[in-house]
Amino acid sequence: MIRKKANLRITRKTILYIMLIISSSTMIMPFVWMISTSLKTTQYTLSIPIQLLPDKVTLEGYKRLFEISSFGRMFSNSFLVAIITTIGQLLISSMAAYAFARIKFRGSDLLFLLYLATMMIPSQVTVTPLFILMRYFGWLDTYQGLIVPGLFRAFGVFLMRQSFLSLPRELEEAAYIDGANRLVIFIRVVLPLSKPVLITQGLMAFMDSWNSYLWPLFVTSKAEMFTLPLGLANLQGQYLTEWNVVMAGTVLSIIPMLCIYIVAQKYLIKGFVTSGLKG
Amino acid sequence: MAGDKGLKKYFWVLFFILPSLLGKLIFTVFPMLTSLGLTMFEWDLLTTPEFVGFENFKYLFTNPTFWQSLLHTLYFIVGYVPIVIVLGFGVALLLNQKIKGRSFSRAAFFTPVISSWVAVSLLWMWIFSPKYGILNYLLGLFSITGPNWLYDTQWAMPAIIITSIWKDIGYIMIMYIAGLQNIPDEYYEAAALDGAGRWQKLIHITFPMLSPTTFFALMISLINSFQVFDQVWIMTQGGPANSTTTLVQQIVMNATRYGRYGYAAAISWILFLIIFGFTVLQNHLQKRWVFYE
Amino acid sequence: MKKRLSISIVSIVILFTVLLSACQPAASTTIEQETLADTTEEQDIEEEVAEQVTITYATFSANAGHEEDLASLVAEFEATHPNIKVETQIVAFDDYFNKLQTMIAGDVAPDTYELNYENFVSYAEKGLLLDTTVLASNDASSDVGIFYPRALEAFQLDGMQLALPETFSTVVLFYNKDLFDAAGFSYPTADWTWNDVLVAAQAINDPENGVYGFYSPLQFNEFYKKAAQNNCSFFNEDKTETLINSPECVEALQTMSDFVNVYNVMPSEADLGGSSNSDLFLAGKIAMDVTGIWMFSSFADAPFAWDIEIEPGMATHATHFFANGAGISSTSEHPQESWEWIKFITSSPEVANLRVEKGWELPALSDPDYFTAYLEQTPPDNRQAVFDSLNYAIVPPVISRQSEMQDIIGNFLSQVDLGTLTPQEALDQAKVQVDELLK
Repeated sequence: MIRKKANLRITRKTILYIMLIISSSTMIMPFVWMISTSLKTTQYTLSIPIQLLPDKVTLEGYKRLFEISSFGRMFSNSFLVAIITTIGQLLISSMAAYAFARIKFRGSDLLFLLYLATMMIPSQVTVTPLFILMRYFGWLDTYQGLIVPGLFRAFGVFLMRQSFLSLPRELEEAAYIDGANRLVIFIRVVLPLSKPVLITQGLMAFMDSWNSYLWPLFVTSKAEMFTLPLGLANLQGQYLTEWNVVMAGTVLSIIPMLCIYIVAQKYLIKGFVTSGLKG
Repeated sequence: MAGDKGLKKYFWVLFFILPSLLGKLIFTVFPMLTSLGLTMFEWDLLTTPEFVGFENFKYLFTNPTFWQSLLHTLYFIVGYVPIVIVLGFGVALLLNQKIKGRSFSRAAFFTPVISSWVAVSLLWMWIFSPKYGILNYLLGLFSITGPNWLYDTQWAMPAIIITSIWKDIGYIMIMYIAGLQNIPDEYYEAAALDGAGRWQKLIHITFPMLSPTTFFALMISLINSFQVFDQVWIMTQGGPANSTTTLVQQIVMNATRYGRYGYAAAISWILFLIIFGFTVLQNHLQKRWVFYE
Repeated sequence: MKKRLSISIVSIVILFTVLLSACQPAASTTIEQETLADTTEEQDIEEEVAEQVTITYATFSANAGHEEDLASLVAEFEATHPNIKVETQIVAFDDYFNKLQTMIAGDVAPDTYELNYENFVSYAEKGLLLDTTVLASNDASSDVGIFYPRALEAFQLDGMQLALPETFSTVVLFYNKDLFDAAGFSYPTADWTWNDVLVAAQAINDPENGVYGFYSPLQFNEFYKKAAQNNCSFFNEDKTETLINSPECVEALQTMSDFVNVYNVMPSEADLGGSSNSDLFLAGKIAMDVTGIWMFSSFADAPFAWDIEIEPGMATHATHFFANGAGISSTSEHPQESWEWIKFITSSPEVANLRVEKGWELPALSDPDYFTAYLEQTPPDNRQAVFDSLNYAIVPPVISRQSEMQDIIGNFLSQVDLGTLTPQEALDQAKVQVDELLK
């Protein structure tokens, strides 16, 4: 009987591992294919049928990437914009989320619904009036033009409000009894307990900003202000595209995201959080 | 928090919300309201807007393309939202256990999320390629003749749905992983002491504790999938024969290609009303199944 | 402590953002910067102090590797026009007009910008472009005779020259000589008709090896051309009605679709499955491909011999005439300097020679000397066919609701490709919808 159970457990585990391996490999397939295409020669990048591995490995895609675009400049633009946007969003959204989650005030539900409502209009339509607004602020072709409109996304507020709502109140109440005001409670109790969601939100904010295309397209015209997605789009000509160069650019632009994710993942581990509750 | 009343409370409300609210009013609400006003105009962006009253809305309701795109969008939602959430949840559960290589797997699942739609679409267009793609090849091994996928009016949308689910599983996964971190071990330990099995722990602890996350994932997926555009545009441009065109595609085409910004704004605001309606409904229902501490 | 920490973080972030905006080069929302140039003081007291002017030039054809080429041209221009600085704005074609019209809506239109013919018409009709006739007549060095007359006319409206032609291109028949040799078939000639193509395609078609005889897509650009080849006019005299379902047009579409659906010598969109016809041609899987001359450089290293010929006709020949022009915005504050620039970028010898040398589109100039170098490049050998095609060139049918018409017709053409509609049915239904647009 026990042996049967043990065997069952082993088969279950093996199946699990097999599924895991298959699904993980399908997930990283585009990345593998991107890397492999970036290492192909200019000619047969999209050969028929599609080849997963290059015939001849070459770095000419990367060389050409730096020849025809100011990749470094765009990279640092994207990085600057993304970092500031992420920090700004985290600060601004977490504060608003705290108010929605922990302060019962009249109109809070309605106001929150308004926040949600701002996510329900496609950005392709609001981008035109926003552009005209930026023009009148004098923010075209500036960093503030790239960064500021993106600081006030409702998504982060929503995410963090959900998370704050599910935090046990005891610690906050204890601190309140000890005489702390709301700001102190926010910084010393709520934020430390919320590291997973802060990291998740930071990750998503960075990713959104990093991959953002439409807004930078409109707000910047000078090449030195371009961000990466714009640069990648300009690698594609009206009729012709050198896919190995495009893929080289795409691979290089994914790497920072991946690194940040790997670093962030370390902090998403369980032990980090529950330690606060055991106190 | 008990004890906070009156002015003091409102001071704190302002303190915490003002930066966000102010920015939102200027950079989001103002453009939104401008576009609302423009629904009553016809504007090609190149010349001055021309007042047309409710013409745009009249045209909208009598335009078969609008209704088709609404239908396609709903089709996408019904196919995409439930599956991506269930799968994302399942993967998060799986990868929350102590398995070897779970860090790598999590990163693997997140890679499609951070990849651009250009790269993902290229890859999946190949996978779905009727003659040269791997999917029909695999189906052929089982003696099934695969359909023409992206080139077949019946199968194009399913293909897009599959691609979208595949790309976004990791996104839902990390939300659930963050949520799972918030469930104290003690709960599970206590339940185990009470004799609860794996399945019971799942239903009585994990599900309820994760309900805020599920609520969030549902809301966000719904709001986003009503606005689905990028992958459809890249993979089929709304084809073949307009069989996959979505609401936002109609908005984009009218605003940017056809010089009918006013009509595009009208579609956007009808879409807004639809999404808002669904959201209010979901918000209302949350009292029944979402469990906050 | 933590409170102070978060406050200092917030302050640092704000400070950082402010510093950044102060540090980066003075961004102007207005189009020009006027500063007095510092010339050598003593001598120039009597001369006019030169006014430094910056103009902007938006373009979609200078990306994907041609940024350097454009930059070198700008440098040459600035060297010979020391008081003018040109700021280029390069935007990918797919988003170019979206961005351009948004800039115009926001009153920050570039001084000069590139336009393809299809969009030129609507911009011209809306009065967005400056009439250059006056500028040209005041300019002793300008000679509009250097332009290829057809191209020059394309950018006129009501007697006003609203843009200068920058480049032109056309579509020809590419054929794989090796495949023809293997089938023992003689090469296409300038008087081939689609029937000749069909016979050749059937001879070379090799389904077992995945080789198709022919490819020409069922899309708007190809359709209006094939219609013209069959003497079918798109519209009636006063453009109040389309005639696309007339027998000649239907016959033209029928011929096109029969290649796919009846004779199976041409891949359908599903058969292409995401690959482009050029990829297939390069892989030796298509014997005859109708595509643009911009493919010369991509096909240069093909592992087989190939050449081109004028596109075959039906009742007559008709070929594409795609042209890009450079125009001056009617709101530009520097029309004179803008004029100098568009003159340069459309007709100066430096630009023309660079274009030919780099295979970066063809300048729309009438002097055959420019093209000698072009004609000498191979492959293909028969580059003369490019210029012979011009004898049969037609312009696209253009109406004010152009994009909508293209999309409607494109939609019905793809249904013909799918086989769900016959050409007659498709064109009958398309006519109903297009007529709506003409109201």
